[in-house]
Amino acid sequence: MAKYDDLKFPYCEEETKYEKLLKIGQGTFGEVFKAKDRKNRSKLVAMKKVLMENEKEGFPITALREIKILQLLKHENVVNLIEICRTKASPYNRYKSTFYLIFEFCEHDLAGLLSNINVKFKLSEIKKVMSQLLNGLYFIHSNKILHRDMKAANILITKNGVLKLADFGLARAFSLPKHGQSNRYTNRVVTLWYRPPELLLGERNYGPAIDLWGAGCIMAEMWTRSPIMQGNTEQHQLQLISQLCGSITSDVWPGVDKLDLYEKLELPKGQKRKVKERLKAYVKDTTALELLDKLLALNPSKRLDSDTALNHDFFWVSPEPEDLTPMLSRHTTSMFEYLAPPRRRGQQPPPPKPAPNNDHHFERIF
Amino acid sequence: MAGNFWQSSHYQQWVLDKQDLMRERQADLKVITEDEYQKVMIFFSNFIQALGEQLKVRQQVIATATIYFKRFYARNSLKCIDPWLMAPTCIFLASKVEEFGVISNSRLITTCQTVVKNKFPHAFNGDYPYRIQNVLECEFYLLEMMDCCLILYQPYRPLTQFCNDLKPENDLLPLSWRIVNDSLRTDVPLLYPPYLIAIACLHMACVIKQKDVKQWFAELSVDMDKILEISRQILALYEMWKTYDEKKEIAGILSKIPKPKLNPSRPPSTGANNQENNSQNSSASQSTQQTTKH
Repeated sequence: MAKYDDLKFPYCEEETKYEKLLKIGQGTFGEVFKAKDRKNRSKLVAMKKVLMENEKEGFPITALREIKILQLLKHENVVNLIEICRTKASPYNRYKSTFYLIFEFCEHDLAGLLSNINVKFKLSEIKKVMSQLLNGLYFIHSNKILHRDMKAANILITKNGVLKLADFGLARAFSLPKHGQSNRYTNRVVTLWYRPPELLLGERNYGPAIDLWGAGCIMAEMWTRSPIMQGNTEQHQLQLISQLCGSITSDVWPGVDKLDLYEKLELPKGQKRKVKERLKAYVKDTTALELLDKLLALNPSKRLDSDTALNHDFFWVSPEPEDLTPMLSRHTTSMFEYLAPPRRRGQQPPPPKPAPNNDHHFERIF
Repeated sequence: MAGNFWQSSHYQQWVLDKQDLMRERQADLKVITEDEYQKVMIFFSNFIQALGEQLKVRQQVIATATIYFKRFYARNSLKCIDPWLMAPTCIFLASKVEEFGVISNSRLITTCQTVVKNKFPHAFNGDYPYRIQNVLECEFYLLEMMDCCLILYQPYRPLTQFCNDLKPENDLLPLSWRIVNDSLRTDVPLLYPPYLIAIACLHMACVIKQKDVKQWFAELSVDMDKILEISRQILALYEMWKTYDEKKEIAGILSKIPKPKLNPSRPPSTGANNQENNSQNSSASQSTQQTTKH
């Protein structure tokens, strides 16, 4: 009989290696737990359970994407996937293990921090958050990956003030269109409130600019403390965008009229662009307003890319970006959107297909 | 998706050592010869290729599926999970990983049935027995056994770069590409990094086409011993093909392998160390059969 003793088998480790402490997240993707390593008790991890929702799909394609993309992307500002674990297969689970993605633990998510009024960000600290966020995006985009689900709840921050992009369940690899052949990706991505106008209008040949729109929304949220455009439907979201960023026309965005849904959706006419004007009440810093204005460009080809955004004056004029550790050290409990009081938790973007409702004209944006 | 090969699981966990590979194969080599083992692996590569072509997936999906298949049996005996089940499972998983989408369940099974019936009647008696729940279950074992290492690097991309670098007028790409395809029928993809395989195949194409590219190879600074070792393994394949008639021989070889149970008999990870333990197998398989029927 063969001896296997000296061989290293690469099988997944068992989930019992970790001890679950607390549930810290719940979404369409499944549950997330805070846990600690039983052998190394100071090592904290987040365990994300892979939900087997669709029997026909087998192992979910979203989990496969997250696994393969995160195995590929190792960067300070991208959440670190430590390993995949599984439950022991036994007759009780039909020899089908449950899989867990094991991540390094991050104490907070940005939505949780912003929903807590005791957490106050100075301008220099906002700069630190944004520069790390853009750094992460620069890294994933230069590795030809689109995140496709930018939102405050998917931005994690460790107690040492290091920001990590998380939740790559919707992410995918992209290629630049070549030989005149355009890409055909699904446009049913990105949580509605952070969804850029090109996706809302049915664009399927999109690129990294979709994540930069989300970065703009998140940046504004650093001051407004709640998502800036909370639409109920795609139509409503486009109205809110037009009210803030001006009417969507081929003057500001040549070719927009060619997009599938441009004729089908009702787009407000004659709206002036008021990004700076409306955000001025919250954002006192003029270079910040300039950067916001450029991130929230309607035309994706005019929107700043992460590299150019990082070179923006905002990050280079006084006050300089400042480490978040001292500020965070005043808050010793974890802040996650999931654990925040219901005031915030109730605030979820609705599913994409509610009944149409046309009475949105008087709604405030913030 | 570009990524860095040197940091990948492919490089760190899945470039195997020849001796380890042979040692893992010992259980199977008790019932079939080394030569026959290779013929079995070739046969199932052909089966995966036929399934992939019938399903109209890209060659990339087929290549990935073929290597998943090899990885599984690099760590497990052929009698642990029926390769007739593992082959479509590899295609099913590879299609998702390579962003080709989820293959419809009924289409996958129907394709297995037609391909077996029309193209491999010499190797399979009767109807294709597996159903989608077998494939879905098998997918778990496959993922677990590979430790979820999903990203594979294939030799095709470096090969294209090398050919461009070597001046396109040499027209070496089509031939060396075909040699890379053939390398999938050997152990080479398990033993060497893809860029070396690309160089070896390119080298062989140069020899066949009698192009003098000594200078270019001299400047590469790669381990020429490894290149020659890869070439030797591919040449051995060509040598075998000269006299081998798969249609006549394969049924005989396959009949020597103990037939696995209809359902995967046990999770491979718990049993890999005691593959001879049959009593455990049968009790486990009974309970699996009972529960998967709904």
